[in-house]
Parts: sequence; structure tokens; C-alpha cells
Amino acid sequence: MQDMNLTGLFIDLMSRLGLNYEFLATGYEAQVWRDGFITTLYLVAITIPVSLVFGLIFAACLTSGRLWLSAPVRGFVELTRNTPTLVQLMFSFLVLNTVVSNMVGGAQNNPLSPFFWVVAVVGLHVAALHAEAIRGGIEAVPSSMIEAARGMGFSQFEILRYVQIPLAFRSSLPAIVNGLISLVKSTTVGNAIAVSEITYASIMVWTQRDNVVEMMIVLLAFFSLINFVVARIGQWVERRLAIPGYGL
Amino acid sequence: MMTASPATDAAIVKLEDVHLSFGQTQVLKGIDLTINKGDAVSIIGPSGSGKSTILRCINALVTPQSGKITVAGTRVDQLTKESERIQLRKRVGIVFQQYNLFPHLTVLDNIVLAPTRILGADKTATVKLARELLEKVRLSEKADAYPGQLSGGQQQRVAIARALAMKPELVLFDEVTSALDPETVGEVLWVIRDLIRDGMTSILVTHEMRFAEEISDTVVFTENGRIVDHGSPQQIFHSTENPRIRQFVGGLSGGGRGAVRDGEGI
Ligand SMILES: Nc1ncnc2c1ncn2[C@@H]1O[C@H](COP(=O)(O)OP(=O)(O)O)[C@@H](O)[C@H]1O
Ligand SMILES: [Mg+2]
Repeated sequence: MQDMNLTGLFIDLMSRLGLNYEFLATGYEAQVWRDGFITTLYLVAITIPVSLVFGLIFAACLTSGRLWLSAPVRGFVELTRNTPTLVQLMFSFLVLNTVVSNMVGGAQNNPLSPFFWVVAVVGLHVAALHAEAIRGGIEAVPSSMIEAARGMGFSQFEILRYVQIPLAFRSSLPAIVNGLISLVKSTTVGNAIAVSEITYASIMVWTQRDNVVEMMIVLLAFFSLINFVVARIGQWVERRLAIPGYGL
Repeated sequence: MMTASPATDAAIVKLEDVHLSFGQTQVLKGIDLTINKGDAVSIIGPSGSGKSTILRCINALVTPQSGKITVAGTRVDQLTKESERIQLRKRVGIVFQQYNLFPHLTVLDNIVLAPTRILGADKTATVKLARELLEKVRLSEKADAYPGQLSGGQQQRVAIARALAMKPELVLFDEVTSALDPETVGEVLWVIRDLIRDGMTSILVTHEMRFAEEISDTVVFTENGRIVDHGSPQQIFHSTENPRIRQFVGGLSGGGRGAVRDGEGI
């Protein structure tokens, strides 16, 4: 009840300012809208680690010196960097997803949801951007340092794990944070395949209520807030990993 | 111990007729070298004569085209798999001109990383060993510093401690003082001198002629991919007939540089 009163108060206040948030008093539209926030936050929270893990794997493949690892990844990175994410998502959902459905004997058996495809497409797209940044950092590790590690008995993988990636991650951190900020924005492509993240939900509300400006204000504030937090976390990590006496 | 060591069963390193090329460039043209356990051997010679390549062969960092290499009972030339070469490298320490400490790790972690992660040694015991080694190289108070906060000489002493933490059977030093400021050369030579006195088998590529003369059991002179001469420091530095060696040795130590940089009494 307390909640209803607060909502009512808010709607009243806003309407005095000429802003129409009446849908908040309804059950269904308000619910869809609230779920939209949750869905977007889930998308962001799952896609960020996916992009980081695959970014590392892609960078490791690109710098492995083994053609059978580097060539396919190089091809994928170029493809995903140079084509629109929206087109990649459409292709994945309309073509790849259909292929999967046919393979498992019908769409009803296909475990892959539209949500999955947004995570996969956006995550791998941003992973390609991370990979390029991390690759640059890996290649910047001096060959004499690598030889010293080899001389102590490090394997190629151990050099990557203990020397190259820790250094490359630090030097590519600003680029990675930029990638994550664009990742947050890119999750909105989900609305093209009916993933009811926050833009999808907002569009649904404003087509019913004709309150585009009101919904936009919240949308812009919401994404600004997420990316403000992402940038802040990035700065914090950067400070934590800073190496005393080492000019990066 | 001022005589050339004869080849005996005590040999820990043995190179026989080792030939190595990089592409068209012949770098080693038949190297024969025997080093006994506990010996200190200095390799001197002009730049580009193959000194570093000899060390890299001993540590299986490069593989020669022909010849036999035996290190601590292992036929290095017959190792075919990288994993086998890695096993050998764990037993043979190598320290380079560019200290190459890991910049993102503290001094202590630089020393502890390889024994714990690569050898699988116990962490507590390794930390204890690392602190003892830091004491030995007189850097106990720098355990928590990062490499970027140390001078070149201090970094090189950490690099030596890092190599020793692997408990190697022999240590290779490749011009470890060449990149240092003159005032810090002495502190590094002091550490190496101590190590040799403790009986560590050591092979040093060096331009510090007075140091080589002082600590070596055998001095080897290389030129153009061959060992031109070897013998006791007395033989190589004072009684050689070879005009090239006389010129080389005289040219370096006569310039006063070697004398000043030797860091006697440090
Ligand atoms: N990886 C390599 N590829 C091609 N040539 C090399 C390589 N390493 C060394 N060399 C060449 O081999 C020769 C001997 O090098 P090196 O053993 O480093 O000599 P030194 O240590 O006596 O100065 C030099 O001419 C050098 O240019
Ligand atoms: Mg050299």
C-alpha cells in the first residue's frame, strides 16, 4: 500500500511537470517495463564476462604462432569488426538458430533463446575488439623477457599465463573499458529479435501511452548510469593493477 | 685451481663438434668444450663470435644442426620434444644482460613464481628460500619492491637470486654486467664471485677481463664461431702466443675500463 501511495505521488508530481508516467499505476505495462530493466542488467552482467573470456582466448589464438588457431580467429575478428552488430544478430537468429532447430528436430527442442543469441553475438563482437587490444599488449612484451622466462623452463602457455597476459591486460585496460561501454549500449540490439530488454519494453509502453519523451528520459539516464559505473570500476581496476615504477 | 681442467667423468657440460647456423649464417663452426662440475669458465671473445649462442645451446634454447651436447647427464642434442627441453632448462639457470625481471611482480614474487608454478615447489619453503637468497645478494629490504623501483645492479642481483631459486645444477651468465652503470657493476660481480666460491658450476660470457682472470678455472677465447684457444687465466691473459688474443685482451683491459669496473673489495 505504501508502495502504491509512493507511485501515485510520483505520477502526480510528474504530471504537474507535464510528464506522463501514468502507466506505472497499471499492472501489466509497469511490470513489462520493470522486467526490461532487469533483463538489460542481466544482459550486461552476463555479456561482459563472456566478452572478456573470449577476448583473452581470441588474443591467445592470434598470438599463438599456430596458423590453425590464428587464421580462423583472424577471419572472425575481421568479419565481426567490419559488419554491423544488428546484421550479425539477424543472421545468427534467423539463419544459425534455424539450422540448430533443424538439427535438434524442431524449434520446440531448440534450447537457444533470443536472449542467448544477444549474449553470443554482442559478447563475441566485443571480444573481437578486446582481442585486438590484448594482442597489441602481448606483442609489446619484449622478446628478451620471453627468452628469460623460457630459459627458466616456462612453457609457451605459462609465459602467456604468467607474463604476457598480466602485462597485456594492464596496457589494454583503457581500450577494454571502451569496449565494455560500447557493449552496454549494444545490448539494445536485442529489441530487434524481441528480447524484452529496456528499449523493447519502453517502446511497448510509449506506443500505448504516447509518452516518448518521458520514456526517453529514463532510458538515457539508465544507460548513462550503467556506463558511469562501468567506467568507475575500470578506473578502480586500473589503479589496483598499476605497477609502481613501471611506465606503461 | 688455476690450471685448465682435464676432461674427466666429472664433466657436467660437454660439447663435441657443435655446428649451428641461422639460415645461411654459420654461427658455430665446430665447438668442443668440456666443463667440470664446480668449475667456473669464462668465455671471452669479440662481439658476434658466438658466445651467447654457445650458452643458448647448453640451455636448449637453440638446437644445433650437428654435434653432441651433454649437460648434467642429458644428451641435449637428442631431445626432440619441447617438453624435454623444458625439463633441462629447469636444471640449468641462465641470466641475461637485460635482467628481464617480471615488472608486474614484486622482487619476492619474481623469485617465487617459477619454483612454485613451474617446478611445483612448496610455497612456504620457497618463500623462505627466496628470503635467504635475497639476503645472499644483499637485497633483503627490497623484497616488496617492484623491479621498476630498483637500480640496474639491484635488478640484476634479483635476477641471479631468481635463477638460484630453481636450485640449478649450473648457471650461465651472459654479459650480465654489460648493461649496468659502472658504479653498480661491482655489486653484481661480488655476488657471482661468492657463488663461484660456494662451488656453483658457472659459465660466464663476460667483458670484465680482470674479473674473469680472478675467478675462472678456465678461460675460453672464441672468434668467428670457433674456440681459438682455452686454458688457465694465466695462459690466456699473460702467456698466449696468439696475437688476436693478445690484442683483444690488451685492448679491453689496457683501456682502464676493466680495472675501474672490476669493483675490487666490494
Ligand atoms: N636468432 C638469430 N637469428 C639469426 N642470427 C643470429 C641469431 N642469434 C644470433 N645470430 C647471429 O649469430 C652470430 C653470433 O651471435 P652471438 O652468439 O649472439 O654472438 P656473441 O654473443 O658472441 O656476441 C651473430 O652474427 C648474430 O648476428
Ligand atoms: Mg652475446
